[in-house]
Amino acid sequence: MRTATESRDVLALIFEETARILQEKGAKVPALNPEIAFLGGSMDFDSLDLATLIVALEERTGADPFRSGFKDFTTVSELASLYEAK
Amino acid sequence: MSRHVIVTGGSRGLGLGFVEALLADGYLVSTCSRAANEATERLAAHERCFWQQATIGDEASTHAFLDAALAWAGGDLYGLVNNAGIAGEGVLATFPTVDVDAILTTNLSGAITTARWALRAMLRRSGPGRIVNISSIIGQRGYTGLAAYSASKAGLDGLTRALAREVGRRGITVNSIAPGYLDTEMSSTLGATQRDQIIRRTPAGRLGTVADVVPTLRFLLSDDAAFMTGQILTVDGGITC
Repeated sequence: MRTATESRDVLALIFEETARILQEKGAKVPALNPEIAFLGGSMDFDSLDLATLIVALEERTGADPFRSGFKDFTTVSELASLYEAK
Repeated sequence: MSRHVIVTGGSRGLGLGFVEALLADGYLVSTCSRAANEATERLAAHERCFWQQATIGDEASTHAFLDAALAWAGGDLYGLVNNAGIAGEGVLATFPTVDVDAILTTNLSGAITTARWALRAMLRRSGPGRIVNISSIIGQRGYTGLAAYSASKAGLDGLTRALAREVGRRGITVNSIAPGYLDTEMSSTLGATQRDQIIRRTPAGRLGTVADVVPTLRFLLSDDAAFMTGQILTVDGGITC
């Protein structure tokens, strides 16, 4: 069971890596919050960016929640919860 | 620092030629084959070469090789050359299903598995990347007795085009090299009549050699090829022209 601190850590990691990916492709980094959607929202993020993020998170956390199949998520907090469920 | 390239199936024929050329060019090269031989023993002794037994198409064995290769190279991966392949000849109506499965599993599913793994390694780093799929003119033109092989190579070309679109903007290029009939072990089963017929139909008037194909790989891996992606480069002495 993860603690509240660990949960904040996952969110912080997602914010950090998302900002890095946006910066590397020269896109504007919006104010990131847990309810922001990855695709189709205010972020210039596409499916390849999302793949890059998942790979980066695997490297940082050692976990890949999608290993046994795709799990649906839209927002930053929904993605974070997949790592917390591990 | 030297760029790391993984070449599957490097124990003989075209794959061995690729590995030796890339080592001569200064790359770090990882390669695998189903069995060790004199060539792999020589390669394993090279300080810039890593070899491990692996069966492409067997996911656990493939991943074990790829993970070990990546660790050997300090986590870096610049290029993947999907070269491992098997062939089997016989008209489809009587060709054993188990052999069809083996050809598709090695030549196509195996290549998709390695490409997927390699892309994850490439997405972890910034900088360019290269995937080269070794296809065949038999994937573009029919040839009696090679239906499953032809389907597997046509599938590889489809993989090339789709992946090129997926990862192009990250500076990762994906191309196929489609050799014609080469004078390698794989073509040693050709009968004298077939061989003569192929040579007669080839404008260059001979079978190809490993050395005929190597320069195309060198080019595709180079920085000069950064704007070339999703293409099938045919190296066949003109037989398909």
